[in-house]
Amino acid sequence: MVGAGDAARLGDAADGIVAGRAADGDEDAFGVLVRRYGAMMRASAARILGGVDEADDVVQDAFITAWQQLPGLENPAVVKSWLMRIVSHKAIDRIRARRPQTDIADEDPAASESNAPPRIVEARSELEALSEALSSLPEQQRECWTLREVSGYSYEEIAEELGIPVSTVRGLLARARRFLIVRMEAWR
Amino acid sequence: MSDELPLELRRLDVEAADLDGHSLEELGDYLDRDRTPVDPSIEASAGCQLVLQAMTRLRATTRALIDADIAAAPAPSESWVQQILTRIALDARAGRRIPFVHPSPTADLAITEGAVRGLIRAAELDVHGVLIGRCRLDGDLATPGAPVRVSVEASVLWGERVPTVADRLRAAIRERLVAHTDLDVQGIDVTIRDVHRLAGTPEEDRS
Repeated sequence: MVGAGDAARLGDAADGIVAGRAADGDEDAFGVLVRRYGAMMRASAARILGGVDEADDVVQDAFITAWQQLPGLENPAVVKSWLMRIVSHKAIDRIRARRPQTDIADEDPAASESNAPPRIVEARSELEALSEALSSLPEQQRECWTLREVSGYSYEEIAEELGIPVSTVRGLLARARRFLIVRMEAWR
Repeated sequence: MSDELPLELRRLDVEAADLDGHSLEELGDYLDRDRTPVDPSIEASAGCQLVLQAMTRLRATTRALIDADIAAAPAPSESWVQQILTRIALDARAGRRIPFVHPSPTADLAITEGAVRGLIRAAELDVHGVLIGRCRLDGDLATPGAPVRVSVEASVLWGERVPTVADRLRAAIRERLVAHTDLDVQGIDVTIRDVHRLAGTPEEDRS
């Protein structure tokens, strides 16, 4: 048995070692990954979901999936970005499950001043302003944008993840960027 | 496309015409590929430069926002971590079944591959500062006496002499396997993948 003292030592090891032994079935090593990246994954999930409500669930699901799929991860040293992918994927799944299935391109409403929180200029900080701007983005634009800018997906990967054409992804991203830029310039 | 631009960009003080024929999509793509290869037409356009600046600023703010999210997020509580570990415990990785040689034909004793990996990992306790990562058993484990090769990845404590540690680890693993299994271990490959420091000095970014 590996005791608590050893788990603490494992906490000093680089990702490749920790993830490698988690892949081999060492639960303590997996616990190290959960502690190391849980908060980061939750933050990312919350941004994609547009709130923290379901983020904990999504991260837990992501870890369960990660445990099952770890043996197939060829290079355990990249476990951090691999986990971020899984949690993004789970967050998208969650969003899909909670909205009726419609054609994603037809459904996307334009972001307008009317659905924006009033007096954005009063946001206390630039970060707060961005956070508010993001929350008033139409859902699909926010998904595309978060996958691109937070999770680091390529356009092709976003298209695959969301099941939409790359050209639609490009359009949604451009709209999201335009909206955010204008809003952030207004804040400045 | 470009016909949508003027209204919103006016507030950026950039008329569509000022983008010199380029679209926001194009500029986004250009930024995504780190402005390479250099597009002289974009670089020479004041309007494009303004938009690129705004996009770059947005990107930096995004990064700061995510960093702030992470910093503000409470560290996962121990009960939350345990909840996850309890769920994965239902899916133990036993791996292949490795039978023991036994004189009685009716006896059916075996150890799992997962348990043998645990044995191998425990060998790190015998060698100061070493941590074992992935571990692989190659060979026909189901046939008693068949040759087996063991490969492990490991991390050594900063300042330790790598060849010495590898030798000790190899010996420690062999000792444990001989004591607890019937495996005919032909060789043990130790690959030192990392060097770690003691608690309190983790790397800032392990990615």
